[in-house]
Amino acid sequence: MQMIHPLVLAKLEVGQHLYWQIGGLKLHGQVFLTSWFVIAVLLLVSFLATRNIQRVPSGLQNFMEYALEFIRDLAKNQIGEKEYRPWVPFVGTLFLFIFVSNWSGALVPWKLIHLPAGELAAPTNDINTTVALALLTSLAYFYAGFSKRGLGYFAKYIEPTPILLPINILEDFTKPLSLSFRLFGNILADELVVAVLVLLVPLFVPLPVMVLGLFTSAIQALIFATLAAAYIGEAIEGHGGEEHE
Amino acid sequence: MMNFVWLLAVETAEAVEEGGGLFDLDATLPLMAVQFVLLAVLLNALFYKPLGKVLDERDGYVSSNQVDAAERLAKAEQIAQQYQQELAETRRQAQAVIAQAQEEAQQIASQTVAAAQQEAQAQREQVQRELDEQKSQAMATLEPQVEGLSRQILDKLLGSLAV
Repeated sequence: MQMIHPLVLAKLEVGQHLYWQIGGLKLHGQVFLTSWFVIAVLLLVSFLATRNIQRVPSGLQNFMEYALEFIRDLAKNQIGEKEYRPWVPFVGTLFLFIFVSNWSGALVPWKLIHLPAGELAAPTNDINTTVALALLTSLAYFYAGFSKRGLGYFAKYIEPTPILLPINILEDFTKPLSLSFRLFGNILADELVVAVLVLLVPLFVPLPVMVLGLFTSAIQALIFATLAAAYIGEAIEGHGGEEHE
Repeated sequence: MMNFVWLLAVETAEAVEEGGGLFDLDATLPLMAVQFVLLAVLLNALFYKPLGKVLDERDGYVSSNQVDAAERLAKAEQIAQQYQQELAETRRQAQAVIAQAQEEAQQIASQTVAAAQQEAQAQREQVQRELDEQKSQAMATLEPQVEGLSRQILDKLLGSLAV
């Protein structure tokens, strides 16, 4: 990898990280750098949008209100009218963080900033980020289930019949697994495809794939947030869905 | 060129083995989770709460305004209806007054005409009566004269005969 052909404008780097040592812990520096950027963007935009709140919104406030209504609709559709409000921050932050992460990976020319090792990319490009988000989602729906239904939450494992107990338990493992790998795989694959295409044809040809990448990035953020909300809603509602309205 | 790409892929796969790699789970995971929760808390304070409050307040404002407007519209419609009703009533009354006045005028006119005719009749009758009276009076006065004259005529006729 160190011997890059001089004609090659882009290079492929997979699985290389900028390691930071804190105590005995190893951290992926490049992930934190871009995630701080994403967090800073989100906080800055939120701050600017709510700095001077008007009854008749305009500009940034209007845009962020649109975003908030979108998130609320998403949470409301999955969790239900009665229970969705406390979960809006979690589901919304999932969506916004993943969305901005993905798009920052696709739109910000991170590769211009050279790191000693690894390269800057979307934080969701790293399995640690997606697993962290997926595990938080698992915690969230367990918390939602227990806080709503107490120990009765365990009843969902033997619904509709106790024969399904192993499958129901397995579900709690497959949910975070599928969530994290779906996001990680999509974003990584998108960046790899773009990188390979850039490697082959540096000009114009990768553009359609990049546009497609923007689309899939947005879809992945939406899918992650929707599934998280759906799991939470399912945990609140009960497996049999006896409270469907 | 394709060979070159494959070569690169092979080389990265080698890089995976010497540390790092795609599925390198380490302390990034919990720290990222903590960072995400912090972000959620911050965004909740900075974004979801204030803007959510504004949205709810606006919903309330709009719906209360809508209710208010609907109420006012209903009231206005009611007033308009009442006005229409009153207008129709007034029109009917005016019509009635006109009809009554016409009727009265008709009555007065016919009464006057009848009275006038009656008076004329009475006068005519009176005149007739006076005329008859005078005629009979004249007849009565003429009666003796006629008698005298006829006697004279008779006398003359008979007298000449008698002579």
